[in-house]
Amino acid sequence: MKVLVTAKRVVDYNVSIRVLSDNSGVDLNNVKMSVNPFDEIAIEEAVRLKEAGKVEEVIVVSIGTSACGEQIRTALALGADRGILVETEEDMQPLAIAKVFKALIEKEQPKMVILGKQAIDGDNGQTGQMVAALSGLAQATFASEVVVNDDDTATVTREVDGGLEVISVKLPAIITTDLRLNEPRYASLPNIMKAKKKPVDTYSPEDLGVDVTPRVKTLKVTPPAERAAGIIVETVEELVDKLKNEAKVIS
Amino acid sequence: MSALSSEQIIQQIRQLVGKVYTDPEDLKFYGCDWTRQFSPAPLAIALPKNIAEVLALVKFAYAERVALVPSGGRTGLSGAAVATNGEVVVAFDLMNQIIDFNPKDRQLVCQAGVITQSIHSYAADQGLFYPVDFASSGSSQIGGNISTNAGGIKVIRYGLTRQWVAGLKVVTGEGKLLDLNKGLVKNATGYDLRQLFIGAEGTLGLIVEATIQLIRPSNDLHVMVLGLAEFTGIMAVLQLFQQKIDLTAFEFFSDNALDYVTRHNKISRPFAEPTAYYVLLEFESVADHQLNQALALFETAVEDGLIVDGVLSQNQTQAQNLWKLREYISESISPYTPYKNDISVKISRVPLLIEEVDQLVTEHYPDFEIVWFGHIGDGNVHLNILKPDTMAKEDFFARCKKVSQWVFELVEKHDGSISAEHGVGLLKKHGLGYSRSDAEIGYMKALKAVFDPANILNPGKIFPDS
Repeated sequence: MKVLVTAKRVVDYNVSIRVLSDNSGVDLNNVKMSVNPFDEIAIEEAVRLKEAGKVEEVIVVSIGTSACGEQIRTALALGADRGILVETEEDMQPLAIAKVFKALIEKEQPKMVILGKQAIDGDNGQTGQMVAALSGLAQATFASEVVVNDDDTATVTREVDGGLEVISVKLPAIITTDLRLNEPRYASLPNIMKAKKKPVDTYSPEDLGVDVTPRVKTLKVTPPAERAAGIIVETVEELVDKLKNEAKVIS
Repeated sequence: MSALSSEQIIQQIRQLVGKVYTDPEDLKFYGCDWTRQFSPAPLAIALPKNIAEVLALVKFAYAERVALVPSGGRTGLSGAAVATNGEVVVAFDLMNQIIDFNPKDRQLVCQAGVITQSIHSYAADQGLFYPVDFASSGSSQIGGNISTNAGGIKVIRYGLTRQWVAGLKVVTGEGKLLDLNKGLVKNATGYDLRQLFIGAEGTLGLIVEATIQLIRPSNDLHVMVLGLAEFTGIMAVLQLFQQKIDLTAFEFFSDNALDYVTRHNKISRPFAEPTAYYVLLEFESVADHQLNQALALFETAVEDGLIVDGVLSQNQTQAQNLWKLREYISESISPYTPYKNDISVKISRVPLLIEEVDQLVTEHYPDFEIVWFGHIGDGNVHLNILKPDTMAKEDFFARCKKVSQWVFELVEKHDGSISAEHGVGLLKKHGLGYSRSDAEIGYMKALKAVFDPANILNPGKIFPDS
């Protein structure tokens, strides 16, 4: 069976984000970009299913500018078999991304689509659910364990507020990954070399017949309010005094 | 020795510096560094607030022959900041301000007690970079870094602390304040006295202020961990990569070192099949140029049979996790009461030195487990021997004394240094003659007498007891 996985290009988790001075967005100039960490988990899960003999082909998808090829290469180095780049300069929002996936599902007929539960840039957490709704497929979100059964179903453990929920879904299904699903491996250098020879197809949204015009307009981006610097008090008495009279947390 | 009584000295220095501690707990805390084999016994701890107080204190100590031990973050590993002999410890904790920054010069001026990490974050806030970094940078102070000429993990690319000290204010043993080099890049006016105080372990003067040079931060950093079957391959890989790429780090560790790290921490191995040795290399890449070069070099090294396997970080989290494989070694082996030695030889001699040490130790003490790691890219290796479970601590360290002897002899044979980056202090002063000639030691003592005629600055350190 075939699996589609995602590799969204986002600002590296460890980079401290700087908001542009005109508040129009986040500064992306010369910033380290990486695969969305939740997508890394999705890629790892697909590769593990392949290694377990449950999956024949892992196809990685990235949507965005041509630079997203870098994230596709990473996924290929981690064990994906081929890549699809949907190239666009447009600001891609969850609904548009979901529509692209719907088109790719029709084209590739995968048994499973594994996506990160959210991307760390937009933090929307909507795409997986929208893909399921648009495609009319089952969904198992926030997965912490995925077992593929022989009867064309998957048993998925979900992380929910009260604990864990185990559900069974009919394949094909949409799965979104939570943090505890697995620990992604390092890309081995021999596999990085091999990845260079793996095929990557490039389409435009128009090729797939999808209108990706943004529906949501960003009005303003602001950094979180800065916390006032702390002070070091000289004595216990001073501390008690400040707690009493300034902070007013004790009386 | 001073003619004054202990009480008189304490009373006097209370008049001279803002804060003086004499509680037994403070004496113990401020009286020692990270070495644990010496018992701290200082008379008092003086915490000057500014240069004027340091000057007053040293003038008093010079007049009254009171021994002073300068003390920074006390993260040293050679006992250079240990006070065992009723000395007054001069701790720079209160002189912890960055006083000036000039973006045109890309220099900051700071007091001696500024924590190394504060310099890192201050530089980062200015869009700049201070490249000297090591495991203890969260507690070590810049004054101590300069006094030991601290090295660390990026020496291969950025050199030692010495390279980043553009100016230095020191108080000599006579209580004179010297303002050395004043931040100049070029200054051809005779002896560069600044250099003498760098790495002098506080025996020539007390460093009170420094002008630190900063540079642009690194571009995209990539980390590779490579697995090798043979030790000699490490040097071949180093040579191969250095021909094409300016590495920012080249570290090595043995498989048993990695084993301790993965057993004691929640960290996974870089690849499934263990190899005998690992190297971690880090490099900057501009628009993937160096990255592609590194990949090509990896292919060559595999074809040449040098490398068995390897991984490459795909993001900064992975880069940090790969670094942990190397950085967590010390901590992971510490429960095994390790004997440690920090030595260096020229890069080309490293494989032979390691082989010879291995041979000697296993021949005499077959039950000793040796763990090797280090900044091999600059010829610096850390020898660690773990105490066998069944052996008493005293027995173990008594035997290790013999090991030290052999190691020093081998280091001498290979024209190496008995202390690569940890200094001499109390720990290695008896071995100084293995790395320095009698004539050299004679001149070193003469220099000490020039700057510290009363021998009040960190007496008993560096030079072997006569």
